[in-house]
Amino acid sequence: MGEENGKTIEIDIDDVSDTLLPRPWPVSKPRTREELYSPWVKDPRDPEGKYGEFIEENISWEKAEGKPWALDGLLVLDCTIWGMAGAFAGSYLAELGATVIKIEPLDGDPQRHLYPFGREEYAFEDIYTGEKVSPTFIHEQRNKYSITLNLETEEGRELFKKLAAQADIVLENYPPGTFDEWGIGYRQLSKINPRLIYAWFGQLGQWGSMKDRTSKYGQWMLDPVGICCSEFVHSTGFPADLLPREQGGNPTRSGEWVGDVVAGVHGTIAILAALYYRENVSNRGQFIEATASECYMDICDFNVAWYGFDGSIKARTGGWDPNLNQYAWNPCKDGYLMIGGQTDRLWYRILQVIAQEDPEGARLIAEDPFLKEMAARNALEGLIKTYTITAQWLAHNTRAEGERKMVSREVAAAPVLFIDEIAEYEHFVYRRHVTEVYDEHYGKVFASNSPLAHQHRTPARIKWLGRPLGLDNGEIFARYLGIGPMELKKLALEGVVKWYRE
Amino acid sequence: MVESWSFNPPFDRNPETGEDLDKIPFEEYCRKVFDPSKTFEKPEALKGWRHVSSTMYILSPHVGATLAEYGAEVIKVEMPRLGDPMRHTSPFNEAYLWPETDHRPLTGTGFGFLHANVNKYFVTLDYHADEAKELYYDLIRISDSMAECYRPGTFFRWGIGYPQLKEVNPRLIYIWLGGFGNYGPRRYGGSYDILGQACGGLAAITGWHEDFGGHPAKHTNWIIDWYAGLTGLIGILAAAHYRKKTGEGTFIDLSQISCSTRATGYSFPLYGRFGVVRQRWGNWDTLLSVHGIIMAGKTDDPEHPNPQISVESRYVMVSAFQDEDFKELCYLIGRPDLWEKYSSFKERVKPEAQIEIYRALEEWASDKSRSEVVEAINNAGLIAVPVMSAKDIYDAEHFWERGTIRWVDDPLFGEVLTQNWHVKLSETPPRTKWVWRPIGSDNIRIYHELMGYSMSKLKELWEKGVI
Repeated sequence: MGEENGKTIEIDIDDVSDTLLPRPWPVSKPRTREELYSPWVKDPRDPEGKYGEFIEENISWEKAEGKPWALDGLLVLDCTIWGMAGAFAGSYLAELGATVIKIEPLDGDPQRHLYPFGREEYAFEDIYTGEKVSPTFIHEQRNKYSITLNLETEEGRELFKKLAAQADIVLENYPPGTFDEWGIGYRQLSKINPRLIYAWFGQLGQWGSMKDRTSKYGQWMLDPVGICCSEFVHSTGFPADLLPREQGGNPTRSGEWVGDVVAGVHGTIAILAALYYRENVSNRGQFIEATASECYMDICDFNVAWYGFDGSIKARTGGWDPNLNQYAWNPCKDGYLMIGGQTDRLWYRILQVIAQEDPEGARLIAEDPFLKEMAARNALEGLIKTYTITAQWLAHNTRAEGERKMVSREVAAAPVLFIDEIAEYEHFVYRRHVTEVYDEHYGKVFASNSPLAHQHRTPARIKWLGRPLGLDNGEIFARYLGIGPMELKKLALEGVVKWYRE
Repeated sequence: MVESWSFNPPFDRNPETGEDLDKIPFEEYCRKVFDPSKTFEKPEALKGWRHVSSTMYILSPHVGATLAEYGAEVIKVEMPRLGDPMRHTSPFNEAYLWPETDHRPLTGTGFGFLHANVNKYFVTLDYHADEAKELYYDLIRISDSMAECYRPGTFFRWGIGYPQLKEVNPRLIYIWLGGFGNYGPRRYGGSYDILGQACGGLAAITGWHEDFGGHPAKHTNWIIDWYAGLTGLIGILAAAHYRKKTGEGTFIDLSQISCSTRATGYSFPLYGRFGVVRQRWGNWDTLLSVHGIIMAGKTDDPEHPNPQISVESRYVMVSAFQDEDFKELCYLIGRPDLWEKYSSFKERVKPEAQIEIYRALEEWASDKSRSEVVEAINNAGLIAVPVMSAKDIYDAEHFWERGTIRWVDDPLFGEVLTQNWHVKLSETPPRTKWVWRPIGSDNIRIYHELMGYSMSKLKELWEKGVI
């Protein structure tokens, strides 16, 4: 059941196909600001409601519209295809207001046609042309202009050089040396435009004994190659003594291309640091290289250092964390509940909650002298003992009950949520962690919002989603290269560009 | 002219040999401009930037640590005696570095503290004390940015929230990092990395599907802390770009759960349009096939005393999703029938096809060791890499020549192996100088030498327990 345009609509669920129907969003409306306002006032943590009011007035998502853009005026050429790292960097810059032009080969970025499980029925169609595109592409290529340019032709490269002469940032992820060979690598472009910041993204690197390579048929290396070579996969997943090897007791990759996400974010920071240096010190750009394996290794805790310390290799621990107690998700009545509380104050509060229903179990760990010291609790026996009792308590609680009981004692707890549950979770709806975007070409699309959307001055925003191939040819070629429709048509005949709606 | 290893574009010659850098092969060129041994001969990107880090755990300290790697002066403020709880955190309570300090003299500081606190200066301050407010204002007045992670409104109550600090220093970039953000019905809920993974969406799509008997798997590291901290840093650097034009600072309210949601790829568009709730899909890929991890029958060193090497190091990532690659792979494993059956790209990504193909691959690999599998596939001109453990990383020449891992000669703790030079920048590479310092070790350096407080005043504050 839900509401749309003020009307209540009901969905009968008779068989599986009914569950696949899209629902109106959100099914249950979150409380409004007014409804939440009285708790602000009464809250002992904010007695006069001043802080809450300040935040609601200045930071909240609703107030973002019309605010200025942080990176207004920057020109970014995003030449990345296939991989997600450069795409991520480009969309972060675009969400913050840079002008990002996605330069694609004539048949488009292959990402446009990567459908989940190859099912073309999950394609989004351009309202005007019926052109199909994958949900991955429209989600990750937000706020970018799309043009086509055949960099394999001499003429295409000349046009690219003219664009690069005016650009601030170039992003690319072609196999090492491809752009250099084409005469449009950093060596050549930096002579045309010394202020250019040029970032290359990849899995393992442009140089070194294990650098990125293609197969003999030209297939690229893509995520998860990087995270496999970063120690992450080796220590993620359940150990074989908790689950059989064929049933999840394996090293496990992330569900998303997370190495690319991290390389994209790390690369963006490097680009912005280089920009700061250019603007304030050197007036010159530089060459940047961000790889999924190294960027992920950087954030992989102390795992490499631990090997250096005493030769330890981190083993898999499933939903537990070997460093903190409590800090894990364990199965409960209807899924999994995550509970975290390491310091004495929080650790004993968790036990107080458990003691309400399982006094013997709670006593068993509360009175264990071995578990009294915060750091000592991290030993493996400590983890096993604590989680055994906690999981016993969880078996009698649903996610919602467990969460409510724990949060009432200010313990950090949250359910493992499925995608549809995240879309409905009141707090996330209120803050628009996921949001509906009304796109000119695809209609209403559901998308995850930028984490930088809540800011006082320059919040990040989604303007549009990944555009149809070559939509902005006319605009971009005229604006930056002075090429009008007649000449563009000629270039199209020569195979240098491709018309939108051809 | 002073010869520099900083490869400014007009200089296209090697300053040491006069070699023309335009003429050398591309890989050679990269080796020269990114040479890790020249790191400390190059300038720092954020020199002169000052950042105050009123932070705990990983999420918010990592903002400061990354700024410090790029050359900013980062001052970490901890509560006197208590310190950051991450100092107590160590894998299975095993790995500690021993400092000369009165803070936990029996154990030292745990490895959990590593890497989110590199290159920082450590001071102590008890925010509850009356004197603390003025002192903090003085610190903020000379700083560019600050990060904090206390529950919403706590700093405001202490008189050092954003509404107050922006009056003290209008250029200040103030970032709050946490789980649920500063507004919304559940704003006071505490958060950790694992909470972000759990309810942000990453957990829902990572691990093995129930149909295969699996559970959602936690990303081994505190990814939603580290990666959300980096996302926040993007906000800070972008705000600094804006500040250059307007002189205005900003406040960023960063929710780490939202970062987890942002990293779920096509999940939300798919749900919103088609009502399909994306599930876990183990070690395979939902967009490409073959593009997943398979198990080999043996490890390379079955006699090794560490089971992580003798038993666990037996997985290989195989990638052959384009038509020719997949065909070659099918012939390599002696199953040309699979190529006949799944010669279309779309057909072989289907779940049933993936189950059949990966099963055939594992069957083929069942009598081979990890390196035999990798070699066989690579020799056929296709792509395969081993799933590497920390030992494999340590043994890989690649990461040493690129400077990714390095023994840092720490002034206090001696040699510490650390992952180091994550992103390569030709002109201003980030760098690690020291791994961490004991709590309060820079009180004099910051309060006296930088801010000019007299030693007698510091003694007074120390006696009152403020620092």
